[in-house]
Amino acid sequence: MTSVRRLLALPEWSGQVRVLAGAAGLDAQVGSVRPVAGPVAGPGAADPVAADELVVVTGPMETADWHVDALLRRVVDAGGAGVLVPSGAPTATLLLADRLGLALLGATGDPLELLVAARLLLAAPELDRARLVLAAHRAFDDRTHTPETVVRILRDLIGAPVALLDDRGRPLAGDLTAAAAVRVGEFVPQRADLPDGVLLAHPALLPGPARPAYWLAAELTGTAAARADVVPPALAVAAAAVQRWLLAHRLELERDARARTALLGDLLRLDGEPSAQLRRRVADAGWQVGGWNIGIRIGATSTFDIVTGTAEISRVLRAEGIDAVVVEHGDGWTGWVSFAQEPTAARVRALAARLRAANRKLQGSISDHMGVGRPHPWPDGLAGTVAEATDAARLAATRPESGFFLHVDQLGMAQLLLEWTRTDTFEPAARALLAPLRDQPGDLVRTLSAYLDAESSIAETAAVLGVHRNTVTARIDRIERLLGVNLTHRDERLALHLACRTVDLPER
Amino acid sequence: MPFDQLLIDPADVAALERGVAVLGSGGGGDSRTAATLLRRRLSAGREVAVRPIADVPPDAWVVPVGVVGATAVFTEKLPGGHEFAAIVSAIERWTGTRADALVSIEIGGLNGMMPLVAACDLGLPTVDADLSGRGVPRLDQLTLAAADRPLAPAALAEPGGQVLVLGAGTPDDLERTARAFLSSAGGWAALALAPIPVRELAACSVPGSVSGALRLGRRVLDLGESPDPAKVADATSGRVLSLGRVVDVTRRPGPRHHGRAGFAQGSVTLAEHASGALLRLEMENEYLLALRDGLVVATTPDVLTVLDRRTAVPIACDTIRAGMEVMVLQLAIAPFWTVPGRIDVLAPRAYGIDCDPVLLGADR
Repeated sequence: MTSVRRLLALPEWSGQVRVLAGAAGLDAQVGSVRPVAGPVAGPGAADPVAADELVVVTGPMETADWHVDALLRRVVDAGGAGVLVPSGAPTATLLLADRLGLALLGATGDPLELLVAARLLLAAPELDRARLVLAAHRAFDDRTHTPETVVRILRDLIGAPVALLDDRGRPLAGDLTAAAAVRVGEFVPQRADLPDGVLLAHPALLPGPARPAYWLAAELTGTAAARADVVPPALAVAAAAVQRWLLAHRLELERDARARTALLGDLLRLDGEPSAQLRRRVADAGWQVGGWNIGIRIGATSTFDIVTGTAEISRVLRAEGIDAVVVEHGDGWTGWVSFAQEPTAARVRALAARLRAANRKLQGSISDHMGVGRPHPWPDGLAGTVAEATDAARLAATRPESGFFLHVDQLGMAQLLLEWTRTDTFEPAARALLAPLRDQPGDLVRTLSAYLDAESSIAETAAVLGVHRNTVTARIDRIERLLGVNLTHRDERLALHLACRTVDLPER
Repeated sequence: MPFDQLLIDPADVAALERGVAVLGSGGGGDSRTAATLLRRRLSAGREVAVRPIADVPPDAWVVPVGVVGATAVFTEKLPGGHEFAAIVSAIERWTGTRADALVSIEIGGLNGMMPLVAACDLGLPTVDADLSGRGVPRLDQLTLAAADRPLAPAALAEPGGQVLVLGAGTPDDLERTARAFLSSAGGWAALALAPIPVRELAACSVPGSVSGALRLGRRVLDLGESPDPAKVADATSGRVLSLGRVVDVTRRPGPRHHGRAGFAQGSVTLAEHASGALLRLEMENEYLLALRDGLVVATTPDVLTVLDRRTAVPIACDTIRAGMEVMVLQLAIAPFWTVPGRIDVLAPRAYGIDCDPVLLGADR
């Protein structure tokens, strides 16, 4: 694309072409130049003028021919750029060109030579683009290049700053001052205007629905901005090279993850001393398995691609001063922190605080909730602490008030048990169990609750409720009849005791 | 008189003059001299009858008459009065047929009225018809030629006294010979063509055109001063293409035909007051083509007439100039010409304009 004004500035055109009329149309975009033998032979219904087309009348023509007027109109109707005639034009035609706002140019030179010069100018960006794309193809050959290499090669090719950005616009390789202008949510090639130039960005995507996007971005400022239409195809070629690296990298990650998940499974199934071979595999994986271990379980957000998050979780944990093993496992990550000796309560509390801080950082983007187990000794305690952490994580998922974080310490066992009774499955069951006592005279649920709290003592229950002991006896009889239970049986007593707590609790 | 004939009243002359001028489409020659001649005869008590074709006996013979040549010279070099008598008697003598009535060769312009003058002088009635339905520049464009009837024998008489009879020849020959004769004669000549039996006249002419021109002229006169375009369109059953000021008139010599100069060509451009739209008229002797902002909106054979905006007087191609305030009117051509095969005779390409006809009603 160029403009009529730009064409007039061509050395071949200057002095050879005059603007006869329609100066208002001089800034019209010119996308192509079409020669016609004469205004009569000009484009018609079968061969219409294209948009942004400049029509050059090459043959001799009658100056006053009304067909020139008709040609002007057809060019305007088609969104054309202008008309160049090999001679002057009568007042009628000049007036029409002014009225239509279409550039009418008069040539004193050979119209064909003017046409060739215009076409060369139009083709120049295409040639430049083609050269750049070919160079990019040669540079990014079949080998897999690291992001740093890709960025360096592309920077040398286009002579402008280049960077590879992650899905939040942070640079992974190279650096850009205007990286924030990339709209990372839109996975399409982008072009953003900068105060002194243009920012171009091309996404490098992994296939599949969970697609972390990387952005290859180039900043064209100053005179380089003129190449804004030339650079994008080369950027696309480089983005393909980044994509190739991503795929190779991803393959490596998947392979590692699979091996580690298998090793974790073997460790959790362990009973007794680990075999020499297993110890060797643990050592090869670089895992710390000390005398005492505290299990960690991290649940991923529903849409997160688990394999790609492991490195980020390790990074956040390290940043909090936690040296933990983290392994992709199921719909989240399982891990542990090792201690040489049994950790003191203070150390455990400090660790829990740091884990809680790490959870806050991971919250939302990668992980959803975190559970932490109690210290257990190696080797057979590892599965135990991981199981505690898993239980705690499951509870943490439903507890926004604790920041989706739960640490199982010794004092918390009773609480943990009670938390269990508050799950969505237990509560309706408890209500169903006590339903026959509802709407009965004599406050039977409270009586039952007090009776069980008082260790089945009629006298104590009567004292707590402030009623006569015979009343309590009669009520207990009715309860046993209504529920069809025997309160001397320990299992039934336990179930009813928990149910009473659950039914009472929501009103707390 | 047993026939339902129309007697032209002296008061009708102004309306007839206006009507034939409008139908001249910018050509046809100045009708003022012819109107003066006619008015003079009618005021002196002479009568001219215009009879509908159906009311003329079918075996009567009608002689087509008119004036050919430079009609501008006609006003300067007035007729001697003998020209029509000479050509009618020449045709009668050549064909051995007695002329029972006259018919105009062309209703547009001068020739819409001169046959009435001739009829007055010869004491013959005229037939309410003509051979073109508008102003046409060439003899080979008459309805007779379009209907494949011969024009010859034809007689020409020029004011200097020469009389020429072309005994045989195609319409094309007649056109060429007449032009050659005119250049050596006084610039114009009276023309009579072969007599036509009335029973065949309806098929090869535009019937009712004299009374039609009279009615059209009356309605245009009734419009008064500075008429509203909508009223003009209504009164004339036409379409106003533009109302504006002439901003440019260019004239140029036309292409040469048979070694002689063709008709001069020209363009008129006017800027519409309301919208600024440019209307370009291409002309030879008549206005032939109208482009509105580069788009062809009207062409011959429809009548394209330029009226003075204030007086509604038609402005001929040779008198239009920049600065005039005008209204451009398009009138539908007589149905005779819209029959396929005939339209080519008057279509733009007959004038060397490479464009299909765009007629009133065709784009509505």
